[in-house]
Amino acid sequence: MAMGMVRREEKLRCTKEPFIEDVGPRRIKSLRFSMFSGDEIRKLAEVQVWNNKLYNESAKPVDHGILDARMGPANKSGVCATCHGNFTECPGHFGFLKLMLPVFNVGYFNLILNVLKCICKRCGRVLLSETERKQFLKKMRNPKAEVLQKNLYMKNIRDRCKGPRCNNCGYVNGVVKKARGPLAIVQDFGKMLDKSSDECRAALSHLRGNQSSQVLHVLTPLTVLSLFKKMLDEDCELLNLYDRPEKLIVTDIAIPPLAIRPSAFVDFGRSSNEDSLTSILRLIINTNSFLREELEGSGYLFKCWEIWAHLQTQVVEYINSEAPSLTESKHRGLIQRLKGKQGRFRGNLSGKRVEYTARTVISPDPNLKITEVAIPILVAKVLTFPERVSCHNIEKLRQCVRNGPFRYPGANFVVLLDGTRLHLKYGEKKNVAAELKYGYIVERHLEDGDVVLFNRQPSLHRMSIMAHRARIMPWRTLRFNESVCNPYNADFDGDEMNLHVPQTEEARTEALMLMGVQNNLCTPKNGEILVASTQDFLTSSYLITRKDTFYDRATFCLLCSYMGDGMESIDIPTPALIKPVELWTGKQLFSVLVRPNANTRVYLNFTVKEKIFSKPDRACLTMCPRDGYVYFRNSELICGQLGKATLGNGNKDGLFSVLLRDYNSHAAASCMNRLAKLSARWIGNHGFSIGIDDVQPGETLNQQKKKEINDGYRECHEFISLYGEGKLTLQPGCNAAQTLEVKITGVLNQIRAKAGDVCMRELHWRNSPLIMSQCGSKGSPINISQMIACVGQQSVGGRRAPNGFIDRTLPHFPINSKTPAAKGFVANSFYTGLTATEFFFHTMGGREGLVDTAVKTAETGYMSRRLMKGLEDLSVHYDQTVRNASGGIVQFVYGDDGMDPAKMEGKDGIPLNLDQLFMKIMATCPARDEDALSPSEISEIVDNRFSKYDVSPEGGCSSAFKKSLSDFLNNHVAAFKKTRSALQLDENYVGSRNSNKIENVAANISGITSKQLMVFLETCIYRYHLKKVEAGAAIGAIGAQSIGEPGTQMTLKTFHFAGVASMNVTLGVPRIKEIINASKNISTPIITAILNSDTLFSARMVKGCIERTVLGEVAESIKLVLKRQASIVIKLDVKKSEDLRLGISAEIVQSAILNHPKLKLKPDEVRVLSSRKLRIIPNVGNRSKLRFGLHTLKSMLPKLVVKGIPTVERAVINNDKGRHHLLVEGVKCLESQDLAFQR
Amino acid sequence: MVELLFEDIFTLTRIDPDGKKFDKVSRIEAHSEQFDMLMQLDVNTEVYPMSVGDKFTMVLAPTLSLDGTPDSGFYVPGGRKSLADKFEYVMHGKLYKISEESSSGPDVKVEIYASFGGLLMMLKGDPSNAANFELDQRLFLLMRKV
Repeated sequence: MAMGMVRREEKLRCTKEPFIEDVGPRRIKSLRFSMFSGDEIRKLAEVQVWNNKLYNESAKPVDHGILDARMGPANKSGVCATCHGNFTECPGHFGFLKLMLPVFNVGYFNLILNVLKCICKRCGRVLLSETERKQFLKKMRNPKAEVLQKNLYMKNIRDRCKGPRCNNCGYVNGVVKKARGPLAIVQDFGKMLDKSSDECRAALSHLRGNQSSQVLHVLTPLTVLSLFKKMLDEDCELLNLYDRPEKLIVTDIAIPPLAIRPSAFVDFGRSSNEDSLTSILRLIINTNSFLREELEGSGYLFKCWEIWAHLQTQVVEYINSEAPSLTESKHRGLIQRLKGKQGRFRGNLSGKRVEYTARTVISPDPNLKITEVAIPILVAKVLTFPERVSCHNIEKLRQCVRNGPFRYPGANFVVLLDGTRLHLKYGEKKNVAAELKYGYIVERHLEDGDVVLFNRQPSLHRMSIMAHRARIMPWRTLRFNESVCNPYNADFDGDEMNLHVPQTEEARTEALMLMGVQNNLCTPKNGEILVASTQDFLTSSYLITRKDTFYDRATFCLLCSYMGDGMESIDIPTPALIKPVELWTGKQLFSVLVRPNANTRVYLNFTVKEKIFSKPDRACLTMCPRDGYVYFRNSELICGQLGKATLGNGNKDGLFSVLLRDYNSHAAASCMNRLAKLSARWIGNHGFSIGIDDVQPGETLNQQKKKEINDGYRECHEFISLYGEGKLTLQPGCNAAQTLEVKITGVLNQIRAKAGDVCMRELHWRNSPLIMSQCGSKGSPINISQMIACVGQQSVGGRRAPNGFIDRTLPHFPINSKTPAAKGFVANSFYTGLTATEFFFHTMGGREGLVDTAVKTAETGYMSRRLMKGLEDLSVHYDQTVRNASGGIVQFVYGDDGMDPAKMEGKDGIPLNLDQLFMKIMATCPARDEDALSPSEISEIVDNRFSKYDVSPEGGCSSAFKKSLSDFLNNHVAAFKKTRSALQLDENYVGSRNSNKIENVAANISGITSKQLMVFLETCIYRYHLKKVEAGAAIGAIGAQSIGEPGTQMTLKTFHFAGVASMNVTLGVPRIKEIINASKNISTPIITAILNSDTLFSARMVKGCIERTVLGEVAESIKLVLKRQASIVIKLDVKKSEDLRLGISAEIVQSAILNHPKLKLKPDEVRVLSSRKLRIIPNVGNRSKLRFGLHTLKSMLPKLVVKGIPTVERAVINNDKGRHHLLVEGVKCLESQDLAFQR
Repeated sequence: MVELLFEDIFTLTRIDPDGKKFDKVSRIEAHSEQFDMLMQLDVNTEVYPMSVGDKFTMVLAPTLSLDGTPDSGFYVPGGRKSLADKFEYVMHGKLYKISEESSSGPDVKVEIYASFGGLLMMLKGDPSNAANFELDQRLFLLMRKV
């Protein structure tokens, strides 16, 4: 704070530069915050403020007023009266206000209270015995004690200071309390009074009946201040105070500089608009001067108190206008300026507004590369890059300077060597251009190839901001390739995006390396590819690769030229069909796309099952009748119709993923570029649209749908009539109504699914929605079914439509109707149109969806923020450990295997997809004439390789990986043996290829040569070592984003529990919230109890033990008997208890009653009459209370838990392939005494 | 002279065993007379219609040139004299898989798979017939009705 006022001193001039020792970089050891004392505030200040007037008659700030010119210039035209600087130069100076009486600072109020609790209210010494004081002081002074530890000591001290009598002066202290009302502390002597006061009270008792004996002393800020001043330094240390406690009390207020509370004239200078701080301070000055008048004059003491309290409130408001002690405030206090999203820290320091930024609407352009972004010329003329003039670019920059700021490839500024900036808007551009010298900096317009950062909010993961190359284009939107929509989660329905231009070469390089699109094709969450083809690209690829697309030479060549703008050299393959006409297939086009010419050394090998795949009867998977098995072999598309699984995102063995892993990001990116251009142009010529005839159902479809719906309805009605008769077989853990709901819901969901299946079967293959759903570009079978056949059940909150009227959903239906139509089943399709009630049910479902999305954005946003704040400092260090910012180890090896999840190739996060890799090696290293290896030779080579250092655990190779590799090879050997035995060859001895024809066949089927094996092993091991996580990886942030980002896509609903009906379990966002909050009581705890003996019988037994049974369930009757001696007789239903295998006897009930904490009955009061009868005769002295006692007892008894675990809601038996186990809904299973659990 | 890899006369037994899925392409199933081979083949029936009961000669050759010059795999326009002249329907493709039949009986059969730009062929028969074939071999399939 003092920095601003110190004027720069003239440097001492020396004839020789003095030697200054360089001690190297310094480290901040600690930072300590403290308060200013009143003296310090006064010393800092330039002016004392006491006048409550702002401006005088001539509109000049009043001297010693709150806007005194000595506190800095108030606006741009003003000059500081202290340092004579103008608005930009002078940071402002503090003033001070002397308060007539001290007041508490709200921020420190609790601290003051805590200190007061520990000290004597007369001498200011700590209320501890000398020995205890020494002990605690020693603990507190321990340099190793951390902040939390010290806080704990402090708490202990506070607890020990309860004793009233001071050891030092013998004063009897009262209990220090917060008083009701605004910010006051009282000392309560109520409990401390000795006998003398008893007398007093007895004497007074007849006056005011039953009055509490509170004797309160107010501890005013003034008394507290004097007490704190009396405190010893050693005691301060003991109480964990770093500074003198009297500073906690406000005696003087530092008036902040004018710069942070500007005053503006409005109404042509007739009045001024003041900042919130100025207004509050003005009120404080007012009150303060009143107080002075009252104190100096012969004012009433009572009035002084009132004003003092008012002053206290105003100072509270100045510091924290939202303090709970304030009723309401129109002002923004100091805390409000700093706190929250718009506050100084998050709004101005962490989130500053910047230059070199653009924002407009986005639109797609498939002709751009995936790494490019098209920037409008208008934008490019404003955004500049400072390029230094050198011999390489001087001519280009000269032209830019000549063009000036208004012609496109121009420049806005030139910075000369001495740092002067020439604005090219003014002055002679030609002269500047001519005088351009090496070393000048030209702030030229953005040009093609410049690196820019591109971003879309919400930035949920690191791929939300990526570095692109600029392409300057006409028109007004920012454009990019649709393939990059996914990482930004962008669409083109009016989305806007931001663009930033890095201003140095270093920043550009860093951006390109770390944030470049090419280097971020995969998500670091799990290594799935994120930048991939979408929507129309998938549709057109799907149509191009259909089995019956054939092209003649002209068309084929035209399509080939589409993918590279006709600029690439392309080797046309031999046509698939040579006679009767030369025809190329669409699949050949894709072979060309992956490998356009012989110089492109890309040999792609992988297989993928598409959505439409169905297993052929016999024969290899490639023979799929619907052509759903995609097989690329040496960059030739052998078979399969390409769809989302191959080309889309979210897959690890698709085309682009394999290209990226086996080759590099450039290969994948250029393939994506070619695909984007080809498919956009192809689909433009081919045409793809949707019309009303696409959703018109045919005759057969209509009939089948009718049949499905009638069948389903009939089934539902049967269930309903069964339910009405009470004959419905109950499902485990459900009552009749729940069972009915479950069954009906099941049937109704089936109807829509079946209708969808019919649609998929019956529709013509050219039907656009069908094509889109099959290739995965948009829509699902359910969407098609909804349009054509049947919209299906509408659900609200996961159930069928709720009753909005009495016992019915809408007044159109009979009361208590459970029929499908009455509970929100929509039998119509969007094509046929919905009836009024159906439409209403549909809106109910729709509303829920809208509410859900609105709620979840806020909820998940906050969740992500908390996750990020919690994990932001975790990173991998050079010793592979995961540490936080203070160097504490969190994990010894990241993820326990040190692998980078972004680089994992296999499913379930295994490092390599061995099947694919093996296939690639086998295809790219042909056997030629080499002989296959025999099984023993294979194991010899493998063992030999495995014994080397880089496959050992010390060499950084996990045993799991080694095992998976050897297992894989063993499987291969087994397959090879099988082949040879089938071909009637010796399993273990392999002959030469040329010797025997059959040997050759066997080698072709599953043989492996030594070269192939070696290459395979080397590739696996080499690649495995590359997959280690890099030191310095910010894995905390990645982890937080990987959880937060999918959260936004989750619905808030709870999902159904797998397997068992009626058991719902909280999943998704609510569950993640529970985990992050570390909630003790989770909403749906479920315990899976595996039984030693898993028969149904024993499962029932255990269930009986676990599940809560109340007396009301097993008692035949609980009667009140008023004959002779009033009592309660309980009769047990023995048969029921036997049926359920509960084994409840009268003794068990007796002990349950006796152990109940609230009943408080003694053993002789509860008598067992027989095995099924009990009598309770309460032994109550007062006969008048007996009647009510018995009645309350009778009402409590049915709810008495006689058996089972009280915390368990219910247990459900689950049948898992004949093995029964229990799913227990509830907690604390282990606490049951009836069961022996094996841990 | 070209060395043919396989030659036999087939009889078409079934068309589209799994139902018609594509307009222009049908999957035919045919049995050979000489080697008792089973063949499944996708044929462009738009340009070369076929029906059940048709008898045809089918030849597999590594190259079309009469002198046996190996095929480059790339398109060379121009109507030179070739093996194709004597046939009605010629396809070009690649052999991608050889495997033994999964159901292992006493006399095991070998399956040869080839793809002609996505039009697939499966040839199943005795292992001795598969001896001439190599993986990744360029194949020309030539057909002529008899």
